[in-house]
Amino acid sequence: MKKTLTLLVASTALTAAIGVPAWSAMQSPPDVLRSVAALFDDAPQAMPLVLASDDDDNDDDRWRDGSRRGHDDDDDDDDDDDDDCRGGARNPAPAGTVAPPQNGLFGNGAPPQVQVN
Amino acid sequence: MKSLLATLALTTALTLPGLAMARPVTLTTTLNNYGGDGAYLALYVTDTSGAYVGSLWMAGGKSKYYEHLSDWYRATGGDTAQVNGITGASVGAGRTLEITLDLADALFDAGYTLHIDAAVEDMRDSPNEVAVPLTTDGAGTPVSGRRYIASFAYDM
Repeated sequence: MKKTLTLLVASTALTAAIGVPAWSAMQSPPDVLRSVAALFDDAPQAMPLVLASDDDDNDDDRWRDGSRRGHDDDDDDDDDDDDDCRGGARNPAPAGTVAPPQNGLFGNGAPPQVQVN
Repeated sequence: MKSLLATLALTTALTLPGLAMARPVTLTTTLNNYGGDGAYLALYVTDTSGAYVGSLWMAGGKSKYYEHLSDWYRATGGDTAQVNGITGASVGAGRTLEITLDLADALFDAGYTLHIDAAVEDMRDSPNEVAVPLTTDGAGTPVSGRRYIASFAYDM
């Protein structure tokens, strides 16, 4: 009987020791959690901010590295379906697949016709 | 019988102005031999106050490059819905892009301006490469661009 009681007390104490901090953390406002997490996140994020050079400053008028198409050929087609999205941005529907936008510029007549010579 | 005639008259009256209020217009853009990849071009219209009205054509299908068409991008926020159904491939150096669109008559002689922004990979962006007032008198008159466009003209 004494042994059972001891086991029950021990398991209750253990549960309380683990559970109470976890429960109170769940009850805390999200901002508090975020600010605590930020203390740990700041250090790894700070490292990439140290720049050895200022080369990036002169690239405003060029397509950035992240924007490059990944191939060096001179063709002008865009029919390939690689890496079509960045940051969830969708590519527009090609001409002929949907009607032109209702922006007041277009009539309701013939669909757009395009030719490259 | 009478109601049928009235309906027919009404539908005709509603349809005819619609047919008369638009016309096919051909936009012809010839690029220089600038020695780079295919150019992205945004053709769009502003009103008398310079406010963006809408897009006419987008040459270049990948929206991730649209930020380089900087004036168009600033006006639209890069909204691809603006160019849904009016987007084609980018245009190679030295090539001629010919687009025929059914455009509203109200666009002409009303103070609207057609703009073209251009951008080429690893080369300078060229916003407002062409800005041409839309007038019936100006039809067929070629204008030069600043960097990549050798000539642009609209015909109707």
